[in-house]
Amino acid sequence: MERDNLGFDAPAPVDHPVRASLPAGAGTGPAIGERLPDFELPDAFGRQIRFHDDRGNAKAALVFYRSAVW
Amino acid sequence: MRSAHAKFEANGIKLYAVSYDDPKALREFAEAQGITYPLLSDQDSTVIAQYGILNTQISPDDALIYGIPYPGVFVCDEDGLVVSKFFHDSYEKRDSPEAFIDAALGHIQIEEEVPQTSGGDEGIAITAAVRGGNSSLRQGIIRNLVVRFALKDGLHLYGEPVPTGLTATQVTILGPQDLQCLPARYPPTTPLYHEIMDVNLNVWSDEVTIVVPFYPAGDLATEAVAPATTSASIDFEVRYQACNEMECLLPRTERFSIDLPLDVVDVPSLSIHRGHGQREGNYDSTPAMRRLLWRKIRTNPLRLLKLMWKTQQLKRSARKGHDG
Repeated sequence: MERDNLGFDAPAPVDHPVRASLPAGAGTGPAIGERLPDFELPDAFGRQIRFHDDRGNAKAALVFYRSAVW
Repeated sequence: MRSAHAKFEANGIKLYAVSYDDPKALREFAEAQGITYPLLSDQDSTVIAQYGILNTQISPDDALIYGIPYPGVFVCDEDGLVVSKFFHDSYEKRDSPEAFIDAALGHIQIEEEVPQTSGGDEGIAITAAVRGGNSSLRQGIIRNLVVRFALKDGLHLYGEPVPTGLTATQVTILGPQDLQCLPARYPPTTPLYHEIMDVNLNVWSDEVTIVVPFYPAGDLATEAVAPATTSASIDFEVRYQACNEMECLLPRTERFSIDLPLDVVDVPSLSIHRGHGQREGNYDSTPAMRRLLWRKIRTNPLRLLKLMWKTQQLKRSARKGHDG
């Protein structure tokens, strides 16, 4: 186990890519004021979800996370 | 996030989560964890790449983790336009869901039940609170110190820059040690030209809310060792000077502290971390891991060799960690 400066222990070394930080100057997608690009993806129950259609006229939070599995 | 889903719904905000997991894994995960908002499956990371947030530090040869994004959250308005986004330099820093709700609504709520304190006088009411989740200190989780001034009619406070002799409003977290702060967020000021002094001032009137995001680091709320105490006191200082058109009150510095519970997750002792579900003990993700592997290996058999080598390496370093 290696503990990083935030106090997290993980079996991967601190410099392993799985623990890598967002590099300085890396892009973080659509900018404030831009429209989120539309997309279509299946959900957990096999339904095809088209983002903007499904959202309708509601505000939304769109979360990108690493994995539900590990 | 799942416990906060009701708050999103109550505020008319839809919640979506995208990862590269397969739909079956997401279904098992959603059922085990009681998640009802859409978990979207971006198996080949097309949308992650389309959004420009694919983690490119990971080699395409990496059988397990290639395809993950730099984690982050976009908040959009009714028209789908980004109103705020949350990305951090480390995946280990995560915002509290309330931050997304506040961003969507364009207003920071201070709920009655959150830990708070108050101060000020002479027409200035200060409310300071800690917002986010259950307002606990939790490893890697960002909470917001919210300081709100309510000003009597005619009074204003100053934002930077201020002419010499006046004090700009400032909120500074003083402790505890190991509490890390992100830059304070001050709302935009209104320009005010002062004829007698012949200066341009930047002011706030009525109500002004300053936010300082913070998170515990080091041993403060680490999951790695048992905590010595159950709470910690966050100490902070508020400096300000209130004026009306004719005169200024003396600059003031007020000190506050708010007690916050430490929220330390009891992580099962596993030699190798096997996923969120297993950490909480109600979701065995091993079959999903296996499927993820096969999906990756089918497209590039060399990945299998690399993975076997890497697993050995991880096991070795995990063993070393336990012995040491």
